[in-house]
Amino acid sequence: MADLLSTGVSGLRAFQRALETTSHNIANAATPGFSRQRVELAASSPQTFGSGFIGTGVDVSGVTRYYDQLLATQSRTAASSFSRLDIYAGKSQVLSDLFGDSSTGLNASLQKFTNAIQGVANSPTSTSARQVMLSEAEGLKQRLQTYDARLGELDSEINSRLTAEAATITSTAQGIARLNGQIVVAQNSTGQAPNDLLDERDRLLGELATHVNVDATRQDDGSINVFVGSGQALVLGSNATALVTKRDPYSAERLTIGLQSGSTTVDLSATLGGGSLGGTLDFRREMLDPVRNQLGQIAAGLVSAVNAQHREGVDLSGNMGTDLFALGAVGVSPNIHNSGSGSISVTHVDAGALTALDYEMTYSGSAWSLRRTDTGAAVAMTGTGTSGDPFLADGVAIVVGGAAAAGDRFQIKPTSTAVAGMKVLITDPARVAVGAPIRTAAATGNLGNAQISEGEVLDAANPQLRSGVTLQFIDATHYSINGAGSYAYASGDNIDVNGWRVTLSGVPAAGDSFSVASNTGGVGDNRNALALATVLGKGVLTGGTESLNGAVTRFVGAIGVSTSQSTASRDAQQIISDSTAAAADSVSGVNLDEEAANMLRFQQAYQAAAQTIRITQEIFQSLLDATRR
Amino acid sequence: MSTNRISTSAMHSTVMAQMMARQTALAKTQSQVASGKRVQSPSDDPIATTQILDLERSRAQLEQYGKNSDAATARLNMGEQAMADATNLLQRVRDLTLQANSGVVDAASRASIATELKARSQELQDLANRRDANGEYLFSGFSTQTQPFSRGTTGVSYAGDQGVRSLQIGTDQRVADSFSGQEAFMGIAQGNGTFVVAAGVHSGTGSIDTGQVTNAAAWVRGNYTVQFTSANTWQVVDSASAVVASGAYTSGGAIAFNGVQVSVSGAPATGDTFTVAPAATESVFTTIDNLITSLGSGVDDPGSRSQLNTNLNGSLAQLDQALDHFINLRAGIGARLSTIDNATASRQQLDDALSGSLSQLQDLDYADAVSRMNQQLVGLQAAQAAYARIAQLSLFNYL
Repeated sequence: MADLLSTGVSGLRAFQRALETTSHNIANAATPGFSRQRVELAASSPQTFGSGFIGTGVDVSGVTRYYDQLLATQSRTAASSFSRLDIYAGKSQVLSDLFGDSSTGLNASLQKFTNAIQGVANSPTSTSARQVMLSEAEGLKQRLQTYDARLGELDSEINSRLTAEAATITSTAQGIARLNGQIVVAQNSTGQAPNDLLDERDRLLGELATHVNVDATRQDDGSINVFVGSGQALVLGSNATALVTKRDPYSAERLTIGLQSGSTTVDLSATLGGGSLGGTLDFRREMLDPVRNQLGQIAAGLVSAVNAQHREGVDLSGNMGTDLFALGAVGVSPNIHNSGSGSISVTHVDAGALTALDYEMTYSGSAWSLRRTDTGAAVAMTGTGTSGDPFLADGVAIVVGGAAAAGDRFQIKPTSTAVAGMKVLITDPARVAVGAPIRTAAATGNLGNAQISEGEVLDAANPQLRSGVTLQFIDATHYSINGAGSYAYASGDNIDVNGWRVTLSGVPAAGDSFSVASNTGGVGDNRNALALATVLGKGVLTGGTESLNGAVTRFVGAIGVSTSQSTASRDAQQIISDSTAAAADSVSGVNLDEEAANMLRFQQAYQAAAQTIRITQEIFQSLLDATRR
Repeated sequence: MSTNRISTSAMHSTVMAQMMARQTALAKTQSQVASGKRVQSPSDDPIATTQILDLERSRAQLEQYGKNSDAATARLNMGEQAMADATNLLQRVRDLTLQANSGVVDAASRASIATELKARSQELQDLANRRDANGEYLFSGFSTQTQPFSRGTTGVSYAGDQGVRSLQIGTDQRVADSFSGQEAFMGIAQGNGTFVVAAGVHSGTGSIDTGQVTNAAAWVRGNYTVQFTSANTWQVVDSASAVVASGAYTSGGAIAFNGVQVSVSGAPATGDTFTVAPAATESVFTTIDNLITSLGSGVDDPGSRSQLNTNLNGSLAQLDQALDHFINLRAGIGARLSTIDNATASRQQLDDALSGSLSQLQDLDYADAVSRMNQQLVGLQAAQAAYARIAQLSLFNYL
């Protein structure tokens, strides 16, 4: 009888546990990271009778959670990738929207500037037309600088984001380490898995993965070790290391990510991937920096082409044109670890050869070498690095000075600061160089039908450019220059003197003369303005193969393509991420209908077990009644 | 990964996520409908974006070319007006010259004609100094703020240059918007435009006409002399005294050499000569000045009158040259204006084509967008209705 009672009680106890667990599951139906639990029931060891084995009831062998390690890992990895792409695509969209407005964008500003130059060509002496052109030059500069400033803000936002990410990752890692400690203690003392602690740790691990891609390995004592980057330990047992931001070795305004290891910090910027931190770093490296450099490259091409043409003209007072724009200087920064006193100065020399890359210049102790920052590939330099014979590479001239120590490095950013330092140098409308410096004329007494072209400037810096020159024909096939020499003439020949070129065509008579003279008083001349207006459509970038207009179109198009690609990748990854999460959830998640059914099942079993106890009591009562005197 | 079970919270969150996605799509369509633009950010359609940028740039360029054409047209019209005025003025001068050349006009009348001619000359000078709306001289070349024509001791001189300003009226098309004063008023060919004839030794009564070019390719530029070796034979010698041609003389017959011919009429004496020299240029002001000088001689004897007639005939020929010159310039202006008109017409066609392409690329197809929006609305409503039903489902309702 006692066996019957104890068997019944074991049932009561077991189903009470089962109902408690169901209740726990229901209570945690909405708890993030919670895995549903079940009570593991097993029949107790039977007693032996002559006739066989009689059962002794049920034992609760443990409470386990529904959890699939493989699915959970897949889900975590997919979430990490999604998180990276989500940040990347979101930030790219900001760029795309920034450069997208075609009515106020770079394209429109460039065109307004060109049209204003044409306006000056229509009335060269009109001060208001010249003022409009200067205003549009200023507008174009401001448009470029607005973009550049916004890119700078994005860069600062990335710094703040990195700081926040580092703090979140560090505190999450600390949470995992703390749970590691609790889990080891709980497991050692009971031999049972502390399910809710495990769930909480998995939840933290999942959260960690959305910030950075991690590798978790399970230890025998129940703890997990977490690694980031190329195998740097973030969590080892109950110890967590801190992820911190540190300044870039070349710039105090840029933060990188490092792992605190004792008193030193290991730079992990290049190896960290995945998650929102990886996405942020990737966006900065693959989109933000190149876009800013490309904008600088376009500005450098604009400034160089416009200035070169502007210098070939003369202003309203008859002076040769000066630079219309100034370009920001090349960004040069020494590495903070440099030990020598060396310095380098870098200047733009050829906008056509300029790239949108950044470079690193290294001193080996005996020689300087240059390499690209992005791929690390060596870049060939000519020259010796002195001011008389500077190193020349990719459109910049590099002059080294001081005493550099072996291993000293310098970062060279030819384009990223070009826009910020842009200026419009001319404010006086009269100084816009609209006319050409020379004009040509045929002498009034000429008897032949030869004609002289209006002339073009080949070398605006020639000191003799505007000295008067007379071409006089000795006979129909020979001419003298300023009365000297005898040069053979054929119709259509170019004649290059003093930095200009004219073309004579037709049949001259002996004694006919043509003059090339300074365009003094030629305020109605618009030839240089016409040339300026066509500069934007000419090949001035990428070795003279790409026009500014073309570069702007390609630039905006490339941002659009990158953004649309990253958005498509993000959307695809979202499906993968959702489906792996659903798969993991299908194992671990709480279904209330299921719990309701379980509750009914366990309640009924509990009631039945209670019945067996009542039956036991009745049987015992029957025995008592039968033996009553 | 097919699953046999789904957690209650996943059921809710999946439906929620679907609703969010539908709302996002709806918001996007709504923003397209509100702006009328299909491409709202380069990432929406990168290829269309680059095409849109190119098309918009082309249209802005066309617009500017239109403004340039207007500016060129305005200046050309002013030039045309000045040339028309100059033609009328010169016609009046020619009429006065004809009047002065008639035998009935005496010295006093010629003096009054000379006075009017001076006034006309001044009027022509003022006309040549005209300015455009910007205050720029029309006929001073590049030196548009330098007064081009002024009278000094040696007559009217030109202070401008030979520059001609061009304006861009198409991508590869420029049109000159003026003539230099040199070209308009100074460089008028003398004689018949190729050579000038003059009387040399003159003891007989022979007179020579202005001559004409019969074969321009055979003309050899140089100074020639027509010599009468007797009363009825002539020869033409060049500057090296080599005989170029010779023949028998009949009054009014052609004396032809080197692709040109002149004719002498009357009775030239043996030894009389006429010179044929390459034509240079002369300013219209000089032509009028010469005319005034001729008229001012004031003596009325027959010898002077014969000399006057010769001079006035020369002046009339030169005036005709000037009139022809102005007509040619006006024809040139007309050609430029017609170039501009053609460019304008093709520009407008191109602009229509460009705006059509642009609209196709960037404008929203409203019918399509609205029907898409309706679909999205229905989808969202269905998702909401489904959620409301599913959310109520629970076994606990039946316990």
